[in-house]
Amino acid sequence: MTLWIGSLQLGLLYGIMAIGIYISFRILNIPDLTAEGSFTFGLAVSAIFTVNGHPFLGLIMAIIAGIIAGNVTAFLQTKLFIHPVLAGILTMSGLYSINLWVMGGSSNLSLIGQDTVFKYVQNLSGLDANSVKTILAIISALICVIILILFFKTQLGMCIRAVGDNEAMVSASSINVDRTKFIGFGISNALIALSGGLIAQYQGYADINSGMGILVVGLASVIIGEVFLGKRGVAVGVCSAVLGSVVYRFIIAWATRSNFFPAYMLKLISAIIVALALAIPAIKYYKEIRKIKGGDKNA
Amino acid sequence: MLKVENLKKTFAKNTPNEHLALDNLSLDVKAGEFITVLGSNGAGKSTLFNAVCGTFLPDGGKIILDGKDITFECEHKRAKSIGRVFQDPMRGTAPNMTIEENLALAYSRKYKGPLSWAIKNKDRDFFRSILSEFGMGLEDRLKTKVGLLSGGQRQVVTLTMCTMVTPKLLLLDEHTAALDPATADKVMEITNDIVKRNNLTTLMITHNMAQALTTGTRTIMLDSGQIIMDVAGAERDKMTIDDVLEMYSQKKKQSFANDRMLLN
Repeated sequence: MTLWIGSLQLGLLYGIMAIGIYISFRILNIPDLTAEGSFTFGLAVSAIFTVNGHPFLGLIMAIIAGIIAGNVTAFLQTKLFIHPVLAGILTMSGLYSINLWVMGGSSNLSLIGQDTVFKYVQNLSGLDANSVKTILAIISALICVIILILFFKTQLGMCIRAVGDNEAMVSASSINVDRTKFIGFGISNALIALSGGLIAQYQGYADINSGMGILVVGLASVIIGEVFLGKRGVAVGVCSAVLGSVVYRFIIAWATRSNFFPAYMLKLISAIIVALALAIPAIKYYKEIRKIKGGDKNA
Repeated sequence: MLKVENLKKTFAKNTPNEHLALDNLSLDVKAGEFITVLGSNGAGKSTLFNAVCGTFLPDGGKIILDGKDITFECEHKRAKSIGRVFQDPMRGTAPNMTIEENLALAYSRKYKGPLSWAIKNKDRDFFRSILSEFGMGLEDRLKTKVGLLSGGQRQVVTLTMCTMVTPKLLLLDEHTAALDPATADKVMEITNDIVKRNNLTTLMITHNMAQALTTGTRTIMLDSGQIIMDVAGAERDKMTIDDVLEMYSQKKKQSFANDRMLLN
């Protein structure tokens, strides 16, 4: 039981990251590798503030850290004309050093015995640790989902969607494409960094390698979510990213518990899930071709 | 309304492919004029439009719109007062967004702050009322994704987006060329309607010479980046396609068999 509840908590907290990936991958239409760096950036910033006794400020600073990371990528892309994927890789790579610097040069940081937001709420409410974790995970995921659903109904939200859909049309309709991209990547990475910040305080430590493969985890979550809820507009998309993240954690919990595969195979399995899901159009295409050729033979 | 003075643009300068696309071109468009633009491929028609829209900066000359020098203004800023419809129906609309979202994007840019609701019920009624005037049934499909519409329908949506907030200048870049003849006529009819109703200052590129002479109020012809013919009023009314071809060959002083085929 604790395993499943733990998965739910992790799924919801990582779900915030999945929303960020959904924004860059599905709305802005660019797989943004900044995520790998900005997740750890948020994690490191949140951890260092927690160690110094400011867990809430840590989360806010994590959000700001994410915005900065996203804006660096947007700057490289729009102002310096660097290929979008390469821009993300450059930011991610640079952030590795920044993250080590934030964590004072050590590759991991323990928060054991520190006042995290989870401890703070626990002391305040008198509930047991596990319930507090569940409640806070639900609340934070819910707040992010609601804010984003409302945001994408606004004028600015719609501009961001349009930039991902038809950039030429957007610049021809008097919208500043570059500025819109700055905002889009800022929001995407703010969510990813916030997720990192919450995870650091949730698990009680920060590790420099936490962000490795996080983009694939996020993509897997988005895709799994779409299996359940389909591709039906942004509001459903934001919800399905969180749902997908929870299901992803359940799959992992089930697989590790039943010794279906060892824990170190996780990244490979995630990569295969994403590759298969993205290959569906190609598989359909080959099937169609085979059908046409087969039909000729019989005729 | 639009004043273009000695506009110059050379592509691929200092290479073997150097091409003079605009050669000291000057043009004065008065408010409310509807000019049709003729010219063979590579004459500089689209280059002129691109320069006016700010897709690139000219090498020399000035562009003045409504008394304001916009030669170096960035593209999205001048797009506020310039509407443009392209030949490719895919270019003017966002395919994965609904008709109402596309219209709202064009409509609210002028009046709304970034964090106000994109589509209110009042807006929806307004969209329905303009679309219903075209008799294409688009008013009942506000929630349909634009990607599912036909080319002609998409061009009408684009045209609506460009003109619902009245622009100072409307540029039509062969916007019916990719459509079948019946749809092209329908879209042209709607275009004339919109231009007349809003008294829009319009430039339209076309390869259909008969259409060029019958639509609008003035016709110009471009060749090698220069205006080689500029007719309006009674002179234009008398003109036939043969006259235009005659004029073209006189200016070019060359035999003409191929061009006659191209321009018909």
